[in-house]
Amino acid sequence: MDTEVYSFALKNALNEIQNICPDIKNAFMFREDGEIVAGDANTPEKTVVRVIDAFDGVLEKADALGGVESITLDSSKGRVSVSCMNDLYLVTVTTKKADMNYVNTVTRVLIPTVLKLIEKISPAPLKNSLSEPEMKPEIPMERKPEELLHGCAEETTAKELREPVQTEIKPEAVLPEPPVSQFIVENIGGLLVPSDTVRVDNELISQWNELYPGKKINDVEIETFGGKSARCKIKPIKESKHEGKGAIQVPGKIQFTLEIKKGELVRVKPIVE
Amino acid sequence: MVGKKKSLQEVEAVTEPIAVEEATAVNSLKASLEAIKECDGVVGYIVRNATSASIDLKDPTKIIDYAILSSSALDAGKVLSELFDLGDASNIVVNGKSIKMVSLIVGESKVSLFMDRSADSEKVLRRLHEI
Repeated sequence: MDTEVYSFALKNALNEIQNICPDIKNAFMFREDGEIVAGDANTPEKTVVRVIDAFDGVLEKADALGGVESITLDSSKGRVSVSCMNDLYLVTVTTKKADMNYVNTVTRVLIPTVLKLIEKISPAPLKNSLSEPEMKPEIPMERKPEELLHGCAEETTAKELREPVQTEIKPEAVLPEPPVSQFIVENIGGLLVPSDTVRVDNELISQWNELYPGKKINDVEIETFGGKSARCKIKPIKESKHEGKGAIQVPGKIQFTLEIKKGELVRVKPIVE
Repeated sequence: MVGKKKSLQEVEAVTEPIAVEEATAVNSLKASLEAIKECDGVVGYIVRNATSASIDLKDPTKIIDYAILSSSALDAGKVLSELFDLGDASNIVVNGKSIKMVSLIVGESKVSLFMDRSADSEKVLRRLHEI
Protein backbone atom coordinates (compact mmCIF):
# COMPACT_ATOMS: atom_id res chain seq x y z
CA MET A 1 0.00 0.00 0.00
CA ASP A 2 1.49 3.35 -0.90
CA THR A 3 1.15 6.48 1.18
CA GLU A 4 -1.61 7.72 -1.14
CA VAL A 5 -3.91 4.88 -0.20
CA TYR A 6 -2.87 5.20 3.43
CA SER A 7 -3.84 8.88 3.41
CA PHE A 8 -7.02 8.08 1.49
CA ALA A 9 -8.13 5.64 4.18
CA LEU A 10 -7.37 8.10 6.97
CA LYS A 11 -8.98 11.00 5.13
CA ASN A 12 -12.15 8.95 4.72
CA ALA A 13 -12.07 8.09 8.40
CA LEU A 14 -11.67 11.77 9.34
CA ASN A 15 -14.59 12.76 7.11
CA GLU A 16 -16.71 9.98 8.59
CA ILE A 17 -15.87 11.19 12.10
CA GLN A 18 -17.15 14.62 11.12
CA ASN A 19 -20.30 13.09 9.70
CA ILE A 20 -21.12 11.40 12.97
CA CYS A 21 -19.86 14.28 15.13
CA PRO A 22 -20.91 17.51 13.39
CA ASP A 23 -19.44 19.46 16.31
CA ILE A 24 -15.98 18.60 14.99
CA LYS A 25 -15.14 21.55 12.78
CA ASN A 26 -11.71 20.39 11.65
CA ALA A 27 -9.75 17.16 11.86
CA PHE A 28 -6.36 16.27 10.49
CA MET A 29 -3.30 14.19 11.23
CA PHE A 30 0.39 14.84 11.06
CA ARG A 31 3.54 12.93 11.78
CA GLU A 32 6.04 13.64 14.54
CA ASP A 33 8.44 15.02 11.94
CA GLY A 34 5.80 17.55 10.80
CA GLU A 35 4.66 15.75 7.65
CA ILE A 36 0.92 16.04 6.96
CA VAL A 37 -0.65 12.58 6.79
CA ALA A 38 -4.32 13.33 6.13
CA GLY A 39 -6.83 16.09 6.55
CA ASP A 40 -10.56 16.51 6.25
CA ALA A 41 -12.16 18.40 3.42
CA ASN A 42 -12.77 21.51 5.57
CA THR A 43 -9.20 22.24 6.54
CA PRO A 44 -6.87 23.93 4.05
CA GLU A 45 -3.31 22.67 3.96
CA LYS A 46 -2.07 26.15 4.83
CA THR A 47 -3.99 26.00 8.11
CA VAL A 48 -2.57 22.57 8.92
CA VAL A 49 0.95 23.85 8.28
CA ARG A 50 0.39 26.77 10.65
CA VAL A 51 -0.90 24.45 13.36
CA ILE A 52 2.11 22.17 12.99
CA ASP A 53 4.39 25.21 13.22
CA ALA A 54 2.57 26.40 16.32
CA PHE A 55 3.05 23.06 18.05
CA ASP A 56 6.63 22.68 16.93
CA GLY A 57 8.12 24.28 20.04
CA VAL A 58 5.88 22.25 22.36
CA LEU A 59 6.64 18.93 20.70
CA GLU A 60 10.35 19.72 20.54
CA LYS A 61 10.59 20.16 24.29
CA ALA A 62 8.01 17.54 25.19
CA ASP A 63 10.73 15.13 26.28
CA ALA A 64 10.89 17.13 29.48
CA LEU A 65 7.36 15.85 30.22
CA GLY A 66 8.22 12.30 29.17
CA GLY A 67 6.78 12.80 25.68
CA VAL A 68 3.37 14.15 24.68
CA GLU A 69 0.23 12.06 25.10
CA SER A 70 -2.30 14.78 24.38
CA ILE A 71 -2.72 18.55 24.26
CA THR A 72 -5.97 20.38 24.90
CA LEU A 73 -6.62 24.04 24.27
CA ASP A 74 -9.80 25.43 25.80
CA SER A 75 -11.08 28.66 24.37
CA SER A 76 -14.23 30.71 24.83
CA LYS A 77 -15.76 29.44 21.57
CA GLY A 78 -14.30 25.97 21.21
CA ARG A 79 -11.57 23.51 21.86
CA VAL A 80 -8.54 22.09 20.07
CA SER A 81 -7.42 18.58 21.00
CA VAL A 82 -4.25 16.86 19.90
CA SER A 83 -3.94 13.14 20.58
CA CYS A 84 -0.78 11.17 20.02
CA MET A 85 -1.24 7.80 18.30
CA ASN A 86 2.01 5.94 17.73
CA ASP A 87 4.10 8.53 15.90
CA LEU A 88 1.02 10.36 14.58
CA TYR A 89 -0.85 13.30 16.01
CA LEU A 90 -4.60 13.67 15.49
CA VAL A 91 -5.88 17.24 15.77
CA THR A 92 -9.58 17.93 16.23
CA VAL A 93 -11.21 21.33 16.54
CA THR A 94 -14.60 21.24 18.20
CA THR A 95 -17.28 23.75 19.07
CA LYS A 96 -17.90 24.78 22.65
CA LYS A 97 -21.11 22.75 22.85
CA ALA A 98 -19.46 19.53 21.65
CA ASP A 99 -19.89 16.50 23.87
CA MET A 100 -16.23 15.74 24.44
CA ASN A 101 -16.92 12.28 25.84
CA TYR A 102 -18.64 11.36 22.59
CA VAL A 103 -16.00 13.04 20.42
CA ASN A 104 -13.18 11.32 22.32
CA THR A 105 -14.91 7.97 22.20
CA VAL A 106 -15.34 8.22 18.44
CA THR A 107 -11.88 9.56 17.62
CA ARG A 108 -10.01 7.32 20.03
CA VAL A 109 -11.75 4.24 18.70
CA LEU A 110 -12.11 4.91 15.00
CA ILE A 111 -8.67 6.29 14.16
CA PRO A 112 -6.68 3.64 16.07
CA THR A 113 -8.87 0.99 14.41
CA VAL A 114 -8.08 2.37 10.96
CA LEU A 115 -4.39 2.61 11.85
CA LYS A 116 -4.38 -0.97 13.10
CA LEU A 117 -6.13 -2.15 9.96
CA ILE A 118 -3.66 -0.35 7.74
CA GLU A 119 -0.76 -1.73 9.74
CA LYS A 120 -2.25 -5.21 9.46
CA ILE A 121 -2.75 -4.92 5.72
CA SER A 122 0.70 -3.59 5.03
CA PRO A 123 2.99 -2.82 7.94
CA ALA A 124 5.94 -1.48 5.96
CA PRO A 125 4.44 1.68 4.40
CA LEU A 126 3.57 3.07 7.84
CA LYS A 127 7.27 3.34 8.53
CA ASN A 128 8.83 3.52 5.12
CA SER A 129 7.21 3.76 1.73
CA LEU A 130 10.50 3.85 -0.20
CA SER A 131 10.48 0.12 -0.88
CA GLU A 132 7.18 0.38 -2.76
CA PRO A 133 8.58 1.20 -6.23
CA GLU A 134 10.40 -2.15 -6.27
CA MET A 135 7.05 -3.88 -6.37
CA LYS A 136 5.64 -1.86 -9.26
CA PRO A 137 7.38 -3.74 -12.10
CA GLU A 138 5.48 -6.85 -11.03
CA ILE A 139 2.24 -5.36 -12.39
CA PRO A 140 1.45 -7.20 -15.61
CA MET A 141 2.51 -5.03 -18.53
CA GLU A 142 -0.38 -6.06 -20.74
CA ARG A 143 -2.76 -4.19 -18.47
CA LYS A 144 -3.48 -0.79 -19.95
CA PRO A 145 -2.88 2.19 -17.67
CA GLU A 146 -6.43 3.46 -18.17
CA GLU A 147 -7.73 0.18 -16.82
CA LEU A 148 -6.11 0.84 -13.51
CA LEU A 149 -7.89 2.99 -11.03
CA HIS A 150 -4.88 5.13 -10.19
CA GLY A 151 -2.80 4.02 -7.21
CA CYS A 152 -5.51 1.97 -5.57
CA ALA A 153 -5.87 -0.56 -8.32
CA GLU A 154 -2.12 -0.73 -8.86
CA GLU A 155 -1.62 -1.35 -5.21
CA THR A 156 -4.23 -4.08 -5.13
CA THR A 157 -2.62 -5.86 -8.03
CA ALA A 158 0.85 -5.59 -6.59
CA LYS A 159 -0.39 -6.87 -3.27
CA GLU A 160 -2.25 -9.79 -4.78
CA LEU A 161 0.86 -10.81 -6.63
CA ARG A 162 3.34 -10.50 -3.83
CA GLU A 163 1.47 -11.86 -0.86
CA PRO A 164 1.38 -15.50 -1.91
CA VAL A 165 5.13 -15.29 -2.59
CA GLN A 166 5.74 -14.01 0.93
CA THR A 167 3.79 -16.84 2.47
CA GLU A 168 5.45 -19.51 0.36
CA ILE A 169 8.88 -18.83 1.84
CA LYS A 170 7.74 -20.06 5.23
CA PRO A 171 8.66 -23.74 5.16
CA GLU A 172 7.17 -24.43 8.58
CA ALA A 173 3.71 -23.12 7.68
CA VAL A 174 1.15 -25.84 7.06
CA LEU A 175 -1.26 -23.45 5.37
CA PRO A 176 -0.22 -19.99 4.26
CA GLU A 177 -1.84 -17.03 5.93
CA PRO A 178 -4.84 -15.94 3.81
CA PRO A 179 -3.70 -13.04 1.63
CA VAL A 180 -5.53 -9.78 2.16
CA SER A 181 -6.42 -7.72 -0.90
CA GLN A 182 -7.97 -4.30 -1.22
CA PHE A 183 -10.80 -3.55 -3.59
CA ILE A 184 -12.94 -0.65 -4.59
CA VAL A 185 -16.62 -1.32 -4.05
CA GLU A 186 -18.80 -1.50 -7.16
CA ASN A 187 -22.55 -1.91 -7.24
CA ILE A 188 -24.18 -5.06 -8.53
CA GLY A 189 -27.86 -5.30 -9.15
CA GLY A 190 -30.52 -7.29 -10.95
CA LEU A 191 -33.33 -9.69 -10.21
CA LEU A 192 -31.24 -12.83 -10.12
CA VAL A 193 -28.37 -11.46 -8.08
CA PRO A 194 -28.00 -13.33 -4.78
CA SER A 195 -27.85 -10.89 -1.89
CA ASP A 196 -25.16 -12.84 -0.01
CA THR A 197 -22.60 -13.14 -2.81
CA VAL A 198 -19.86 -10.77 -3.89
CA ARG A 199 -17.92 -10.96 -7.14
CA VAL A 200 -14.20 -10.48 -7.73
CA ASP A 201 -11.79 -11.21 -10.59
CA ASN A 202 -11.73 -14.85 -11.60
CA GLU A 203 -7.93 -14.59 -11.76
CA LEU A 204 -7.80 -13.83 -8.05
CA ILE A 205 -10.04 -16.77 -7.17
CA SER A 206 -7.72 -18.98 -9.24
CA GLN A 207 -4.71 -17.64 -7.35
CA TRP A 208 -6.38 -18.42 -4.04
CA ASN A 209 -7.21 -21.94 -5.22
CA GLU A 210 -3.60 -22.43 -6.31
CA LEU A 211 -2.39 -21.20 -2.95
CA TYR A 212 -4.52 -23.76 -1.13
CA PRO A 213 -4.42 -26.92 -3.24
CA GLY A 214 -7.23 -29.31 -2.40
CA LYS A 215 -9.25 -26.55 -0.78
CA LYS A 216 -12.16 -24.82 -2.39
CA ILE A 217 -12.54 -21.14 -1.63
CA ASN A 218 -16.25 -20.47 -1.42
CA ASP A 219 -16.37 -17.66 1.10
CA VAL A 220 -14.49 -14.47 1.83
CA GLU A 221 -14.35 -12.07 4.72
CA ILE A 222 -14.87 -8.43 3.86
CA GLU A 223 -13.60 -5.80 6.26
CA THR A 224 -14.30 -2.10 6.02
CA PHE A 225 -12.05 0.68 7.24
CA GLY A 226 -14.76 1.50 9.74
CA GLY A 227 -14.02 -1.83 11.43
CA LYS A 228 -17.10 -3.72 10.23
CA SER A 229 -16.77 -7.15 8.69
CA ALA A 230 -18.97 -9.74 7.06
CA ARG A 231 -18.62 -13.20 5.60
CA CYS A 232 -19.97 -13.57 2.07
CA LYS A 233 -20.05 -16.10 -0.70
CA ILE A 234 -17.69 -15.44 -3.60
CA LYS A 235 -18.13 -15.76 -7.33
CA PRO A 236 -16.13 -14.51 -10.31
CA ILE A 237 -17.11 -11.30 -12.08
CA LYS A 238 -19.21 -12.21 -15.11
CA GLU A 239 -18.59 -9.29 -17.44
CA SER A 240 -15.04 -9.15 -18.81
CA LYS A 241 -15.18 -5.35 -19.00
CA HIS A 242 -15.31 -5.21 -15.19
CA GLU A 243 -12.33 -7.53 -14.73
CA GLY A 244 -8.83 -6.39 -13.79
CA LYS A 245 -9.98 -3.08 -12.34
CA GLY A 246 -9.35 -3.83 -8.68
CA ALA A 247 -13.09 -3.79 -8.00
CA ILE A 248 -15.37 -5.96 -5.95
CA GLN A 249 -19.04 -6.12 -6.90
CA VAL A 250 -21.11 -5.97 -3.73
CA PRO A 251 -24.92 -6.34 -3.54
CA GLY A 252 -26.84 -3.52 -1.90
CA LYS A 253 -27.78 -5.58 1.15
CA ILE A 254 -24.15 -6.28 2.04
CA GLN A 255 -23.22 -2.65 1.37
CA PHE A 256 -25.97 -1.62 3.78
CA THR A 257 -24.82 -4.11 6.42
CA LEU A 258 -21.20 -2.99 6.17
CA GLU A 259 -22.17 0.69 5.89
CA ILE A 260 -20.17 1.13 2.70
CA LYS A 261 -20.98 2.49 -0.71
CA LYS A 262 -19.64 2.50 -4.25
CA GLY A 263 -16.10 3.84 -4.52
CA GLU A 264 -15.01 2.97 -0.98
CA LEU A 265 -12.09 0.68 -0.17
CA VAL A 266 -12.55 -2.67 1.54
CA ARG A 267 -10.22 -5.49 2.50
CA VAL A 268 -11.00 -8.99 1.35
CA LYS A 269 -9.46 -12.26 2.43
CA PRO A 270 -10.41 -15.81 1.51
CA ILE A 271 -11.81 -18.12 4.14
CA VAL A 272 -10.02 -21.45 3.99
CA GLU A 273 -11.87 -24.35 5.57
CA MET B 1 -3.87 75.47 28.87
CA VAL B 2 -5.80 75.13 32.08
CA GLY B 3 -7.76 72.26 30.57
CA LYS B 4 -4.58 70.37 29.65
CA LYS B 5 -3.17 70.69 33.16
CA LYS B 6 -6.38 69.36 34.60
CA SER B 7 -6.38 66.27 32.38
CA LEU B 8 -2.73 65.56 33.26
CA GLN B 9 -3.57 65.62 36.92
CA GLU B 10 -6.46 63.28 36.34
CA VAL B 11 -4.19 60.77 34.57
CA GLU B 12 -1.71 60.84 37.39
CA ALA B 13 -4.44 60.37 39.89
CA VAL B 14 -5.70 57.28 38.05
CA THR B 15 -2.30 55.69 37.29
CA GLU B 16 -1.17 55.16 40.83
CA PRO B 17 -4.07 52.97 41.98
CA ILE B 18 -3.69 50.75 38.88
CA ALA B 19 -0.02 50.13 39.67
CA VAL B 20 -0.94 49.28 43.21
CA GLU B 21 -3.75 47.02 42.03
CA GLU B 22 -1.39 45.22 39.63
CA ALA B 23 1.17 44.67 42.33
CA THR B 24 -1.54 43.38 44.62
CA ALA B 25 -2.87 41.07 41.90
CA VAL B 26 0.60 39.67 41.20
CA ASN B 27 1.24 39.14 44.90
CA SER B 28 -2.14 37.51 45.31
CA LEU B 29 -1.43 35.25 42.31
CA LYS B 30 1.94 34.26 43.71
CA ALA B 31 0.36 33.51 47.07
CA SER B 32 -2.24 31.32 45.36
CA LEU B 33 0.44 29.53 43.37
CA GLU B 34 2.38 28.88 46.56
CA ALA B 35 -0.74 27.35 48.05
CA ILE B 36 -1.43 25.31 44.90
CA LYS B 37 2.16 24.10 44.90
CA GLU B 38 1.44 22.31 48.13
CA CYS B 39 -1.36 20.30 46.48
CA ASP B 40 -0.77 16.61 45.79
CA GLY B 41 1.27 15.96 42.68
CA VAL B 42 2.14 19.59 41.86
CA VAL B 43 5.85 19.84 41.12
CA GLY B 44 6.17 23.55 40.52
CA TYR B 45 5.15 26.63 38.58
CA ILE B 46 6.40 29.39 36.33
CA VAL B 47 4.77 32.78 36.36
CA ARG B 48 5.87 35.75 34.32
CA ASN B 49 4.60 39.11 33.26
CA ALA B 50 6.05 42.06 31.36
CA THR B 51 8.43 43.03 34.16
CA SER B 52 9.20 39.94 36.21
CA ALA B 53 9.28 36.16 36.26
CA SER B 54 9.16 33.71 39.07
CA ILE B 55 10.04 30.03 38.85
CA ASP B 56 9.59 27.48 41.58
CA LEU B 57 10.31 23.90 40.55
CA LYS B 58 11.20 20.88 42.64
CA ASP B 59 13.68 19.79 39.95
CA PRO B 60 15.82 22.83 39.00
CA THR B 61 17.49 20.97 36.12
CA LYS B 62 14.22 21.26 34.18
CA ILE B 63 13.91 25.04 34.46
CA ILE B 64 15.00 25.88 30.91
CA ASP B 65 12.99 23.11 29.25
CA TYR B 66 9.87 23.93 31.26
CA ALA B 67 10.26 27.66 30.58
CA ILE B 68 10.49 27.06 26.82
CA LEU B 69 7.54 24.64 26.97
CA SER B 70 5.44 27.10 28.91
CA SER B 71 6.17 29.92 26.48
CA SER B 72 5.65 27.70 23.40
CA ALA B 73 2.36 26.32 24.70
CA LEU B 74 0.89 29.75 25.43
CA ASP B 75 2.05 31.06 22.05
CA ALA B 76 0.55 27.99 20.33
CA GLY B 77 -2.71 28.54 22.18
CA LYS B 78 -2.90 32.12 20.92
CA VAL B 79 -2.12 31.13 17.32
CA LEU B 80 -4.68 28.31 17.32
CA SER B 81 -7.42 30.43 18.85
CA GLU B 82 -6.93 33.02 16.12
CA LEU B 83 -6.58 30.45 13.36
CA PHE B 84 -9.82 28.65 14.16
CA ASP B 85 -11.65 31.70 15.47
CA LEU B 86 -12.11 30.20 18.92
CA GLY B 87 -12.20 33.44 20.90
CA ASP B 88 -10.04 33.93 23.98
CA ALA B 89 -7.89 30.99 25.02
CA SER B 90 -8.66 30.07 28.61
CA ASN B 91 -6.03 27.40 29.14
CA ILE B 92 -3.84 24.85 27.42
CA VAL B 93 -3.05 21.50 28.98
CA VAL B 94 -0.14 19.40 27.75
CA ASN B 95 -0.47 15.85 29.04
CA GLY B 96 2.95 14.29 29.07
CA LYS B 97 3.62 10.65 29.77
CA SER B 98 5.05 11.54 33.16
CA ILE B 99 4.30 15.22 33.78
CA LYS B 100 1.31 17.38 32.93
CA MET B 101 1.58 21.11 32.23
CA VAL B 102 -1.34 23.51 32.63
CA SER B 103 -0.80 26.97 31.16
CA LEU B 104 -3.12 29.95 31.28
CA ILE B 105 -3.15 33.72 31.41
CA VAL B 106 -4.29 35.31 34.65
CA GLY B 107 -4.66 39.05 34.26
CA GLU B 108 -1.33 40.21 32.85
CA SER B 109 0.55 37.14 34.02
CA LYS B 110 1.33 33.98 32.10
CA VAL B 111 1.17 31.00 34.41
CA SER B 112 2.28 27.41 33.90
CA LEU B 113 1.81 24.75 36.50
CA PHE B 114 3.60 21.42 36.37
CA MET B 115 2.19 18.36 38.05
CA ASP B 116 2.34 14.59 38.03
CA ARG B 117 0.28 12.94 35.36
CA SER B 118 -2.18 11.62 37.92
CA ALA B 119 -2.72 15.00 39.61
CA ASP B 120 -6.14 16.64 39.38
CA SER B 121 -5.55 19.47 36.90
CA GLU B 122 -9.25 20.45 36.92
CA LYS B 123 -9.04 21.23 40.60
CA VAL B 124 -5.90 23.31 40.06
CA LEU B 125 -7.55 25.18 37.18
CA ARG B 126 -10.62 25.91 39.29
CA ARG B 127 -8.44 27.40 42.00
CA LEU B 128 -6.55 29.52 39.50
CA HIS B 129 -9.72 30.77 37.84
CA GLU B 130 -11.02 31.83 41.26
CA ILE B 131 -8.21 34.42 41.52
